[in-house]
Amino acid sequence: MSPADAAKAGIRDNDWVEAVNRNGVVVARAVVSHRMPEGTVYMYHAQERVVDVPRSETSGRRGGIHNSLTRLLVKPTHLIGGYAQLSFAFNYLGPTGNQRDEITVIRRRAQEVAY
Amino acid sequence: MKVMAQLAMVMNLDKCIGCHTCSVTCKQAWTNRAGTEYVWFNNVETRPGQGYPRTYEDQRRWKGGWELTRRGRLRLRSGGRLHRLLTIFANPLMPSVQDYYEPWTYDYDRLFTAPAQDDVPVARPRSLITGKETKITWSANWDDNLAGAPELAAGDPVLRKVSDKVRLEFERAFMFYLPRICEHCLNPSCVAACPSGAMYKRSEDGIVLVDQDRCRGWRMCVTGCPYKKVYFNHRTGKAEKCTFCYPRVEVGMPTVCSETCVGRLRYIGLVLYDVDRVGEAAATPDPKDLYEAQKGVFLDPHDPEVIAAARAEGIPEDWLEAARRSPVYRLIFDFGVALPLHPEFRTMPMVWYIPPLSPVVDALVETGHDGEDAGNLFGAIDALRIPVEYLAELFTAGDVEPVRAVLRRLAAMRSYMRRINLGEEPDESIAQAVGMTGERIQEMYRLLAIAAYEERYVIPTAHAEQGARLEESDLGGCSLDYAGGPGMGGPFGEASGRVAPVAVETFHALKDRTTSGALATGRDDLRGRVNLLNWDGKGLPEGLFPPKRASGGTGEGES
Repeated sequence: MSPADAAKAGIRDNDWVEAVNRNGVVVARAVVSHRMPEGTVYMYHAQERVVDVPRSETSGRRGGIHNSLTRLLVKPTHLIGGYAQLSFAFNYLGPTGNQRDEITVIRRRAQEVAY
Repeated sequence: MKVMAQLAMVMNLDKCIGCHTCSVTCKQAWTNRAGTEYVWFNNVETRPGQGYPRTYEDQRRWKGGWELTRRGRLRLRSGGRLHRLLTIFANPLMPSVQDYYEPWTYDYDRLFTAPAQDDVPVARPRSLITGKETKITWSANWDDNLAGAPELAAGDPVLRKVSDKVRLEFERAFMFYLPRICEHCLNPSCVAACPSGAMYKRSEDGIVLVDQDRCRGWRMCVTGCPYKKVYFNHRTGKAEKCTFCYPRVEVGMPTVCSETCVGRLRYIGLVLYDVDRVGEAAATPDPKDLYEAQKGVFLDPHDPEVIAAARAEGIPEDWLEAARRSPVYRLIFDFGVALPLHPEFRTMPMVWYIPPLSPVVDALVETGHDGEDAGNLFGAIDALRIPVEYLAELFTAGDVEPVRAVLRRLAAMRSYMRRINLGEEPDESIAQAVGMTGERIQEMYRLLAIAAYEERYVIPTAHAEQGARLEESDLGGCSLDYAGGPGMGGPFGEASGRVAPVAVETFHALKDRTTSGALATGRDDLRGRVNLLNWDGKGLPEGLFPPKRASGGTGEGES
């Protein structure tokens, strides 16, 4: 995240943070860099979900991954052409990215984490 | 004039994408052992950034390299001989584990052994030094891609020199990657600092090595090296460093880092130099003149006088031929685009760099300009103070003009070749503006953009008569199977057993496998011996199966 956004949320580089929205929660450590423009937060994909992921404060469960914040709604058109492996479900494998905007809260969490 | 040959490297920074493949393959090959967890013979740093180990370029703090005495003589920054002798039992000034990093792993075992629970088990980070759980706060490449730069970039010794206060804002973000190996210097301060004579510069190709049998672990070399490319193996208690993959280059193969480079940005070649002029050049009073002074030490391999003197020194003919075809020499002299890294350390480094034009191009493109137009590029190179001054602090001791000249040449090549690619008339004025011809620019383009393997790596093989001298020299060779060395693996797997001796025939088989598209057939010199590790799965190498019995014959095959 950008230094300006980090300052607003009281986050320093390498702090544990939680990102929460109605789809889920992800616990991660923040990278603060001026390579990011203000107002945009980016999470690199392919996080190891079984390595160094603590419990979240929000749910008390394992902290989630980058996909926890996005949800896919499969459209009927996605099922055209015999794509039988795609059927409707929440947070299920889908053919395209997240289709709707979500409001997500990112906050600094307790720095002592539990696994 | 005493001519010597030096194996040198040039890296084209515009092509580095920061993928770290060089570092990973180097580590797999050389430092994948206990005691060398933190050792990166090759590392890639994001600049601006602190580098690895942190702030290693700050010689006021780390006292690496050489300085000039008041009388203009060279002296190690870590102190003269007497001073070093008197303090030999004191701990030398060297980076601590916090300046490198505390190596760690994850307790993967927990993923299999954890009891049933509501959540999936997770592997936690564990220090490889204490074995206890740890919080990761630093690593060999922590500030990758300017991560944490608002806090960390202030620690970059180069950025500090450029300006007291560089504003780190999204609109002004510039960065590039700097891959680093040992510089294999002409005037190596690590060799000069070693009290036990364990470090030496090989006479035939200039590779700087540590004799593991002689090293007594004084660690003065770690202090002495201004690039901090000598590491202390805390298991064996001895120093280790980048070997320029000498077992590979001796048989004509490039180093592992070059071989595996995705961007194909590395060039390896010979340069001839006059060893009598090295000391004088390294003692050049003004650091800004060191780049030119270092160029002055190199000899023209086409000059008949140089060739005669080289023959008198016993440099073989194929080495002289390789020196004439050297891509390194061409990049330094014919095209004038390669610069040394930190010449102000006065060690005469032999790994040179083509500075990146991309920070300038990015700035142009992001402001809506044509990043391939010669006029735009020349103007931007003159106007953009921060990236150009930063590059000058890295490569020319702060002298902006040589960096500017190199960037203008790269810019000229970019726009000259753009016209050709678009099918327009070549514009000779672009070439003339940077003191080149269109033909020269096309040659440079060929070497920088599309050069084949054989053009990028011109490495003459070691000579058998020199090899014998190497192995039987009083240096006791430089084997790889010393206790804790790369050849000492466990009892199983590919690292098991004693290391196979560096043999010319196995390396030729390896080279065939990496460079030729043909089947790996049995070679004459491999008759009767099959190394399945070198077999690429294609065809049936001779000797893989016993020869077919001749009908009614004795059944004795020839091979």
